[in-house]
Formats: sequence, C-alpha cells, structure tokens
Amino acid sequence: MSEQRAQTSIPATRPVERRRGWWGWFDPRGRRLGGWAFALNRLTGLGLVAYLYLHLGILSLLARGPDAWDTFVDIALNPLVLALDVVLIFGMLFHGLNGLRVGLVGYGLVASRQAALFVGLMVIGAIVLVVATLRVFA
Amino acid sequence: MNETASLRAPAHVLIVGGGGTGGALAHDLLLRGVRVTLVERGEITSGTTGRHHGLLHSGARYAVKDKESAVECIEENTILRRICPGSFELNDGLFVAITEEDVAYEPAFVEACLESGIPARRVSRAEALRLEPHLNPEMKLAVQIPDGTMDAMRMPLRFFATARHNGAVIRPWTAVTEIIVNSRTVTGVRVRDLTSGAEEVVGADLVVNATGPWAEIVARMADCDVPVQPSPGVLLAVRGRWCNMVLNRLHPSGDGDIIVPQRGLSVIGTSSWVVENPDDLGVPEDHVERMYSEGAKLVPAVRNAERRAAWSAARPLIGSRGASTGRELSRTFKCFDHAETDGVEGFVTISGGKGTTLRAMAEKTADVVCAKLGIDAPCRTRDTVLLPHSAYYLN
Amino acid sequence: MAELQTTPTHPVRFRVHRRKAGDSGGRFDTFEVPLDEHRTVLDGLVAIRTGQDPSLTFRHSCFHASCGTCGMRVNGRDVLACVTKVADTGPDVTVEPLANLPLVSDLVVEMGAFYGPFDRAGRPLVRESELLPGGERAEGIDVLTRYEDCIECGICVSACPVAGSDSRYAGPAALAAAARVVLEPRDADAPAALRFADDEHGIWRCHVAYECTEACPSNADPGGHIMRLRRAATANRVRRWFGAGRAAR
Repeated sequence: MSEQRAQTSIPATRPVERRRGWWGWFDPRGRRLGGWAFALNRLTGLGLVAYLYLHLGILSLLARGPDAWDTFVDIALNPLVLALDVVLIFGMLFHGLNGLRVGLVGYGLVASRQAALFVGLMVIGAIVLVVATLRVFA
Repeated sequence: MNETASLRAPAHVLIVGGGGTGGALAHDLLLRGVRVTLVERGEITSGTTGRHHGLLHSGARYAVKDKESAVECIEENTILRRICPGSFELNDGLFVAITEEDVAYEPAFVEACLESGIPARRVSRAEALRLEPHLNPEMKLAVQIPDGTMDAMRMPLRFFATARHNGAVIRPWTAVTEIIVNSRTVTGVRVRDLTSGAEEVVGADLVVNATGPWAEIVARMADCDVPVQPSPGVLLAVRGRWCNMVLNRLHPSGDGDIIVPQRGLSVIGTSSWVVENPDDLGVPEDHVERMYSEGAKLVPAVRNAERRAAWSAARPLIGSRGASTGRELSRTFKCFDHAETDGVEGFVTISGGKGTTLRAMAEKTADVVCAKLGIDAPCRTRDTVLLPHSAYYLN
Repeated sequence: MAELQTTPTHPVRFRVHRRKAGDSGGRFDTFEVPLDEHRTVLDGLVAIRTGQDPSLTFRHSCFHASCGTCGMRVNGRDVLACVTKVADTGPDVTVEPLANLPLVSDLVVEMGAFYGPFDRAGRPLVRESELLPGGERAEGIDVLTRYEDCIECGICVSACPVAGSDSRYAGPAALAAAARVVLEPRDADAPAALRFADDEHGIWRCHVAYECTEACPSNADPGGHIMRLRRAATANRVRRWFGAGRAAR
C-alpha cells in the first residue's frame, strides 16, 4: 500500500460565486409580471429623481427674468419635448400605481392576487396616460 | 478488546456507492472506530434510494408470506422513528379490501401481522370512509397498521450528515474507474473527481461495493461475480394529496397496489420487469397506465388526476446463481464476501434491502466488515439520534 | 416476457452549461438525444451522461418533484428538470445551473449557501396536515402530519431579482421558512425565527417582485409568506411600543 494513499488527497472543488447581478433584473427569459414591475420600478424611480433635479433647474430660470423663461417655454412646446413629457407622465403613473401595489401587497393585503392587482392598476394607468397624452398634444 | 487492533492505526474502509446502504454503513463503521471514505459518481441517493415512493414500512405486506422480513421491518420502523425524529409523516396506513376475495384474505392477514409484532386493527367500511373520504366507496373493510411516509432522499441523508460530522470523507461526483487488485487482494480503487478531472489511487484495507443495481458491474472491475440484475418498477406521482394515511390493497402483492402521500402529491406504485443496464431503465407507458387503473381501485379520483411525474426505480434482483453463493444476512439482503465466492480478499458486496431497513443492513454488513478486519466493536446505531439532513451541506 | 411497449422518439438538442474546477469561465456543449413525448429534461441529461459524456455532473434523486435536487434554469426559466417535459420545452433545450448560488461544476450548485440562512429559521420538516374534507383521525393518531411544501430546491433564490444583486439578502426560502415557524411554531423557537427575519437584510429587503412564488414548483408561496411575516413583525413592534406583548428582541 506504499504507493497508494489511504485517503483521498484530491482537494474538494471550491465553488465559484455567481449572482445574476442587477442586469439580471432585465433578463426577459423566465421573467413574469411581478419581476417586470420590480425592474421598471427601479428605472422609473431613477428617472423621476433625475427629473426632479431637472425640474428644479428649470424653475431656477424663473429667477433669471422673463426673457430666460420665455426661451424655455418655446423649447418646452417643441413636439419632441412634449413627447418626453408623456414619458415622464408614464413614469409617474407607473411608479405611483405600482408603488400602491407594493404597499398593499407588502403588508399582506391582497397578497394572493398581486398579479391581478398589478394588471388592474396598469389598466387604470393606461387610461389616465391616454387622456393625458391627448391633453398634452392639444 | 482486540489488542492488535488497538495498536494499529484505525482501519480504512472505502465504500463505493452513495445510496442509503452506503450512508448507513459509513455511519455505523465510524461509530466502531473505523476510518471511512465513501465515493459516489453522482448526487447522494441518486441511484435507487431517492426514487422510491417513500413508504416507512410496517412490514404488514410481508406478514403472511415472509414473517422474518415482516419482523425485521417493524423493528426497523420503530428504530427509525427513534433515531430520525421529525423525519416522517406518522399517520399510519390502511390495507383496504375492495373485493370479496380481499375480504377473505383479512383474517389470515391480521393474524400474521399480530404474530410478527405489527399492531393491526380491523376498521369497518363506515369508519374507513370517515378516515379517508376519497377511498373507493365500494370498499368492504380495512386494516389499520403503522405504515408511515418518509422523504426518500432526506431520511438517508441524515446518515450521511452524521457520518460526515463524525469524520467520514464523503465524495460525491467521484467515479471509480478501476479497482486495484494485487495478488488476489483488493488494495484500493482508482477514482476520478468529475468536478475537476483529477485522478488518483486511494488505498483501503477493505472495499465495500454498495452500489445496488450496479453491483454486478462494479464487482466485475475486481474480477468478481455478483449475480445482481436490475429489476425496475414504474412509479406514478399525480397531483393532489388524496390521502393522509398510506393506502394498500388488501391482497397478496400485485402491481399498483400502494398509494403513498408525498406533500401535495400522491405516489402510486409499482410494477416489475428486468433489464440489463441499470442506467437505461425505460418507463413503459402501459405500466404507467396500469398504475392509474390499479390506483383508481383504491382511490377513484386518481384516474383523472394530472400526471406530475412517471419514472422507474431499479431493485437489485439477486439471480439464481446467487441462490447458492453469498450469505443471506436476512431474507431481504445478502452479503458476498469475495474471499469466499471468488478468492479475492479485501472486497465485499452488499445487495438487496428496502428503504426502511437501511440501518439493519448496515449493521449486519458492518459486523461482516469488522470481523474481516479483526475489529471487535459493537453496533451503536440503534440508539444514536442522527443529525438533521441539512447538516450534510453545512460542514 | 412480452416486448415492452415503446413510444416514438424525436431528437432533442441540448445545450448544456459546462464548467470544471480551474476553468476561467463556463461554456456550452451540445448533445442530441432521442426522447419520446413523456420524457423530461432530466431523462435527457441522464441519457447524455450514460451514452455520450460520463463527465457531466448534475444533481437529481427522486424524479418526482419531492427532493428538490434537480433545480436548473431550462430555456431561462427556473424549474425542476424532472418534471419539465421536452414536449413543453420544444426540440431546443438550453440547460444552465441555478443562479445566485455558488457553482461547483457544470449544473451542480453549492447548497451550503442555501442552507446557511435556511437553517437559521429553525423550521421543522413536518407540519400539521390538512384534514381531508369529511375526514377524521385514525385511532392512536393525535395529529395528522405531512411534510412542509417547501422542498428546499433553491428555485426561488435563483428567480429572485434581489437575491441576484444582494449577497446579504436572506432570500425567499429562508424567510418563508421563518414565516412557517411563526405561523405554526410546533416545538421551534418562533421569537428567534421572527428576530432572524425582521431585519433589513430579511423581510424588509424584499421588493414584491413575486418571482419566487411564480417559480416555486411546490406551491410553497414564499412571497406570500414574506408578506405574512411583515404583518406579524409589524404587529409585534406595535404591541411592544404600547408596552404589551412579549418583546421579540
């Protein structure tokens, strides 16, 4: 038995850490409604924070007098900017309504029907979005 | 006390096969002071052990025709409840009479159970239907016996967890590629770690072949003969927990005559045929159909229950060649000391057994192994409570 | 013995993730396996290992969604391979290991990382069984018991977006296990389980994606259990603020 070890000396394989990471939030394979709600909530949240800073910046134009403000209004009426306004409204509606779902479900209310609740709130949001779009472009 | 043994370094036993038998044997040998390495080519219990329906056997099925097996079962049933607390659904079971022929079988059945030490209680039709409302309303009477449900993977895993904790080297994903034989003595095995491709030779004072239906294939690697043939049976899991008690047909055994509840599923088994290759069992669709039709005789609702899974599990069938060779350690399992059967020292094959008797099988095998190694140590597994199964993963 | 009945087979293409110790990254190997309509992804993997590549490593045991060992990502979805039929996946099957758990080899993940947090919940394996409609208990049986729904497969952890980006999150399985202890203590330590779960890396780290509940093969509803636990934790805190009830801390 001299050439043979009376025990195995092959080291146990060290497992390799793997996590999908935040980019995994947007992987569509296997993704269901709730997962999209989560991912979109992060995106709209970041978008709204960015918009908040933009909005404060725009309001500061008021302090620079009527000329600066008038220039801004001209830009703001540009159809491209109006389209971005619609995107903003979508972000507010989605984040708010999904937030309502997260709040309700997150405290154990309506938890068993969370997917249906999501669909229902998005339908309401879609209606409001359509009305808002029409008014923005009127 | 064997003085020579106490001066020697602890003997090293290498077990090939990570099923219930291997795990229970590793646990037993460690408590006797033996050093153990266990190698398994796949996941622990991925052979036959993990696949059965999970019956914690009362032995009642054997009582009439094979009292020795029945006694062994009820004894092990009691021991397992003690050493694996919290691992079973303990709702008892019913043997259900559907036909007049079944009814006629009942008195002999009850008497045989009681003689074997299996508590058995006759239950009227009305009471049986109150206990298990989904039973076939045409049933005539039933007998209550102490069957139970086990988790076929997690219960054996407790033996592995305890063995690992006590110092056994358990290596899954490790295949045996060669059995080293020097001068008609097995001195070790060549293994390949499939997670890395690394190979080496591991020495041992004794190698145990505990590979179930693969026993013959492994024995041939040491130039030994073990007449074990894989004999698979089909099992069917349907959606729905149709019973809390294990339901058996009250007749001498046949196909599809047991339904075992497993969480939200009901498992119906089984059938029987013979194959050559334990890695290629097949799942004959007509056998699956038979599970549906026989199961429906006990619980009509299974007929229309959605199929969750249909699979095969292979029993190790000891062939007629084995009738004259090998040593019957009990009616349900057999040990082949290859020094006696093939003139090869240092190599033992253990074969047979049921899920419920894994501890007894290990005890008797450990007795043989220790006798061969000159170790005098009693078995301590009857009263050693096992670690929880999750401890296996947390070293 | 009569010829075994056989069902017609079709070729199924498997793209299987491979990685061994020392490899810098994973790769995919392709195999073709003839399988009939009733066969599953696991049957395919066993056929590959038996007939084409014995070095393929993957976990499996019970073949019927009870042991939880064969959790994998099949065509991007977290499933149990033993109950995923090739008739449903289609003829092209991509098989990868579960996400968010350390990889040992090929499709085998390290379950120690799963059981670390899971065991801290202290949940017994067995719970009280539902009485079947119109049912009774047999003589000598005080309580009908059954196994917990959770089969400890790790699929919920793989599907969870938070577990994917936060290594300190306890994860849906462990939190659902803690919820079960709080809801049905048996002999376990319910206050300890609540303490474990009521934590910034516990139940409050969940953002209600509910991918866990959607993916769970055993109807254990981990998402719903986390929400129930939030109610229990909140109720407990409110009680303590008002001086009533036992402190969980």
